Amino acid sequence: MSDGEIRRALQRIHAPDELEAQRRAWPLVRAAFDAREPIAWPRRQARPLAAAAVAVALLAAALTPPGRALVGGVRDAFTSEKVKARPALTSLPASGLLLVNSPRGPWIVQRDGSKRLLGAYEEGSWSPHALHVAVTRGHELAALDPKGVVRWSLARSGAVHAARWSPGPGDRIAYLNGRALRIVAGDGTGDAPLRRPVAQTPPAWRPGASHELAFSTAEGRIELVQTDSAQTIWRTGSGEVPKQLVWSEDGQRLLVLADRWLHVLDSQGSRLGTIGLPIGPSGIAFVRRSHRFVLVRYVPATGRSDLVLLRAEPEHGEPRFLYSAPGDFGTLAISPNGNWLLVGWINADQWLFLRLTAAEVKAVSNIAEQFGTPRPVGQPLSSAFPGSVSWCCPVSP
Amino acid sequence: MVGPGREERAWIRRAQAGSASDLEALFREHWPRAHRAAYLVVHDGAAAEDIAQEAFLAAVRNLDRFDRRRPFAPWLHRIVVNRAIDWARARTLRRETGEVERGEEEFDTGDLGNAFSEGLAAGLASLSPEHRAVIVLRYLLEYTPGEIADLLEVPRGTVNSRLRRGLDRLEPILDRERTHE
Repeated sequence: MSDGEIRRALQRIHAPDELEAQRRAWPLVRAAFDAREPIAWPRRQARPLAAAAVAVALLAAALTPPGRALVGGVRDAFTSEKVKARPALTSLPASGLLLVNSPRGPWIVQRDGSKRLLGAYEEGSWSPHALHVAVTRGHELAALDPKGVVRWSLARSGAVHAARWSPGPGDRIAYLNGRALRIVAGDGTGDAPLRRPVAQTPPAWRPGASHELAFSTAEGRIELVQTDSAQTIWRTGSGEVPKQLVWSEDGQRLLVLADRWLHVLDSQGSRLGTIGLPIGPSGIAFVRRSHRFVLVRYVPATGRSDLVLLRAEPEHGEPRFLYSAPGDFGTLAISPNGNWLLVGWINADQWLFLRLTAAEVKAVSNIAEQFGTPRPVGQPLSSAFPGSVSWCCPVSP
Repeated sequence: MVGPGREERAWIRRAQAGSASDLEALFREHWPRAHRAAYLVVHDGAAAEDIAQEAFLAAVRNLDRFDRRRPFAPWLHRIVVNRAIDWARARTLRRETGEVERGEEEFDTGDLGNAFSEGLAAGLASLSPEHRAVIVLRYLLEYTPGEIADLLEVPRGTVNSRLRRGLDRLEPILDRERTHE
């Protein structure tokens, strides 16, 4: 067997679907190219310029109101691993309550760090003023008070999940039942189907509107429907089914996050822009009272996850780097006052609290264990780490 | 590997300046071998496509930092092969813990061309990811053992021993296939 024979034989082997794979890859590469951050100065000047940027940004933070003066861009990746983590969650850095969905069930965490497990439910979501939590498990949807007392429950024949309480008066709950999207009143009455078949993407109520709900159809169309009349307000073309829909607080922007891209839609369903994403974990959260949003962006080449800040506008601008750490970031949650960002850092079993209005990071470790799910032997930490967190409740704009 | 040609340097320079058509030229030039290299290490069509995509996305994001006097291919192949090894190792681990679903372990043969290539592909599948990687880097991508050592960040002696052991294990399979041809 000569080297030449091996070489020729290897070069004759084609990967399956080779040409189609190339066709599929190019739009993603092109999208990443359009979204890249060009470096316009020589590397040797980067440090003094960064220092100047820090000074300017900190000054801006001091002079402008919270929520508008984000200076996250001053943080760099090298500080991220020097944060000393507290071994337990003993307080939250801002007021409000956390609702933590862990593999053991949903927990409510108070400002002082005390917490309560609501029961063996799969997922929970806040009512608008944190007076109730809508929870699901198996075929059941229930409304609990913050002490875990069941106010009402209903059962359906198919699996129930992704319950979402409407904003404002909180008098509607949208939820998925098998392949159907259903609506029930906040007191558990009037349960009725709205659409079928739909994707498994959790629906998203449009803030500031009267019972308008965005959801994904089974074909990946994003539809906004007026739930009282069941009339479609707008619908996009079909495509890949997204995994997350997130509205800005003013209801004027909708982020549609899929595995490989993020679409930014306006309130009429028109696409303002698309950002290509690499393979790996990703997540999004709007900054309070703003069209800016934080994006988790995994970087395969380095095995790190970055947090970057973008604008949900036709020109989303250069991503502003906020933070970076090795491994995967999971959940994102913004504090009610808009000053703090909670980031689940799965590989380190930590939550990071990043102050968005100054360069400050607090870390808490042993998160999986604190929420009652010790890491199973031989299983990845992600199987025990809380899957999502929401921080309630922001003051309505 | 020889250094970058004038044309490739021009593509990189113009892509760094914002030319999407030059980026596309670079992509078209390098995609097939990157994809094929990933496939020969992971032996999974979908994973190979993901890995090649990841590598290009990483390359695009770091394009402005790239020194265009250096060849593009080794930089890209370093990402591809290391990611492919990681993926293949993870798959081995999942197989040990019973997480690999039925059918997922079957080797996706694609379009292998002839029996000799089929035999070689099947033989590669029987090697460890690290051994596959050095065979692919040496014979598909045509790097020297010294260059492979740099790409994988392992001693050159390790590369040579992996090459030797890999070829020793492939030889009977290939001899058999050649006899049947």
